[in-house]
Amino acid sequence: MVQFINMLLIGIGAGSIYALMAIAMVLVWRSTRVINFAQAGMALLSTYIGFELVQKTGNFWIALPLAMILGALFSALVEILLIRTLIKHSTSGPVAGIVPIIATLGLLGFIRAMIGFIWGNQDIQIQPPLSKVGFKFGEETISLSPMNLLVLLSVLAMVLVLGFIFQKTSLGLSLRASAYSPEIAQLAGIRVGAIRTIGWAIAGAAGAAAGLLQTVNGTGAVSPDSLEFSLLLTFGFIAAVIGGLESLPGAVLGAVVLGLVLAAVQIYISGTLVFIVAFALLLLVLLVRPQGFIGTKAGRRA
Amino acid sequence: MLKKHPLIGFTLFGILLFLLSNRVDELRVFQGATVAIYVIAIASIILLTGYSGQVSLGHGALLAIGGYAAALARNHWGAPVWLTFVIAVLAAALGGYLLGLAAARLSGPYLAGTTLALAIGLPSIANQFPIFGGEQGLLYDIGMPPASLGEDFTQYKWYFWIASLAALLAIYWLRNVMASRYGRNWKAVRGNDVAAELAGINVGRNKVLAFTVSAGLAGLAGALLAMTISTVSPGAFPLALSFSLATGAVLSGVTTLGGVMIGAVTLVAIPEIVDTVVSRFESSDAVANNLPGLLVSTLLILTVLFVPNGPVEQLRARREHRVNK
Repeated sequence: MVQFINMLLIGIGAGSIYALMAIAMVLVWRSTRVINFAQAGMALLSTYIGFELVQKTGNFWIALPLAMILGALFSALVEILLIRTLIKHSTSGPVAGIVPIIATLGLLGFIRAMIGFIWGNQDIQIQPPLSKVGFKFGEETISLSPMNLLVLLSVLAMVLVLGFIFQKTSLGLSLRASAYSPEIAQLAGIRVGAIRTIGWAIAGAAGAAAGLLQTVNGTGAVSPDSLEFSLLLTFGFIAAVIGGLESLPGAVLGAVVLGLVLAAVQIYISGTLVFIVAFALLLLVLLVRPQGFIGTKAGRRA
Repeated sequence: MLKKHPLIGFTLFGILLFLLSNRVDELRVFQGATVAIYVIAIASIILLTGYSGQVSLGHGALLAIGGYAAALARNHWGAPVWLTFVIAVLAAALGGYLLGLAAARLSGPYLAGTTLALAIGLPSIANQFPIFGGEQGLLYDIGMPPASLGEDFTQYKWYFWIASLAALLAIYWLRNVMASRYGRNWKAVRGNDVAAELAGINVGRNKVLAFTVSAGLAGLAGALLAMTISTVSPGAFPLALSFSLATGAVLSGVTTLGGVMIGAVTLVAIPEIVDTVVSRFESSDAVANNLPGLLVSTLLILTVLFVPNGPVEQLRARREHRVNK
């Protein structure tokens, strides 16, 4: 029973961080029809900036929002400098489909190398702001520490704020309209270009939060070649796709399902099988329900 | 003459390589073998991406299948070396066939992400089942070069010979396949799959076939890679390898096989150039560790921005443009 509760707690905790990453990927996909494989690199950069801010301010809860803002600015910059040029140059030839994928992959390598230049390739260590010892119920220690709880609450808060922005504000309406049909949105007087940049900026902030929270929730150590971030990218992508890639609630749902499945595998079968199970889950969803949990059939063709 | 009889060109190139391998030192011979292996692996990506319009960011996983299959066949059944290569090709092709069945229903970014997940997921299997030897992996020893080649014929030269011969055969074969009905079908599917379908081409089957053939080549490259380092282990096929191969394919230009050497040589040359720069200027570790990544990723971004079809195709297009004017 305790094992089962721990599974739920670990799964939801991990899933909540994948959810932020998945939200970032969905936002970028909706605004520019690009899967941003550099999202991991941007999150990594934000994490390093967060590390510096923690050093300077000494307070993680000041550093986190600041890192998110800087992450958003950087992401917007990438959209303006790289993605716009890419769309302008875009060819209709056979390589048109792979150009954005390769470009974001190149950006991922570029960011990692720059981080290595600036901070070196050794691990840096971010102190978790709260205890990571699980709460006790009688004799049993469950897999929920004050740190886990705060990660969960902050992710929940961010998802609610994003949901509010998307459903209740005119900015959200513009974002949704531009994603639905750029031409019609433009005719309706929405500045689609600016909206795209804002989509990227919000994604950058979500990615920054995912990176920092993942780091302090885990070992606290990061390096430019961190496998953690490759996993964050892959699991974020898988969560986004099984959730439907078009929908923010879908991304959250996909992330929680992925987190729970992986936690179940980890606890009941074997930790080393987690990666291949994630792949199998992705493949299964793509084959059985290609439009994702929440999504329309037409959304599938890129 | 060379245009009409490519076999002559390939033979001449092979003889040139053979003569060259006797003139240069061991390190260069080893690098030559690595270039040959990259040529095969990059060609397999070019076939997949440039000729059938599918993207794979996880070719490292297919190389791993080939490497492990070869090592298992060698260690458990004592198969002769040539047979282990055949087994590597078949095993990877089977893996590619299964992946291709799923891939044929996916497009662009979905496929890229799925293959990425495979590249991360597959090596972990090696840690799960003892037959694969865990983190240490398996030995893969092809033995000493035959004594008939002489006393001073080194192990690396033997690797170089095998890898170069495999690369020459693979490219020659691939060239012919591209010119065949299958190659034309793939090009048609890549160009416009609806039009191809209307012209009576079975799009799904052709995509799966392309994936299978590409995976088979990747498996061959994997076995050869395992040969040069004498082992197969999860660490030999990291995500970085998959990314490097995709990079090499883009630098070569994915729409034509003609530039395949460009990417392979670049991938091998960049660490070499960085070493020279670092030792010349006595730079710090940070530069030595990160300059290769910086150069490769900058090249990658510049290539997709300015010559997305690759340098060879770009030159050809420019020449045609001039002739037409």
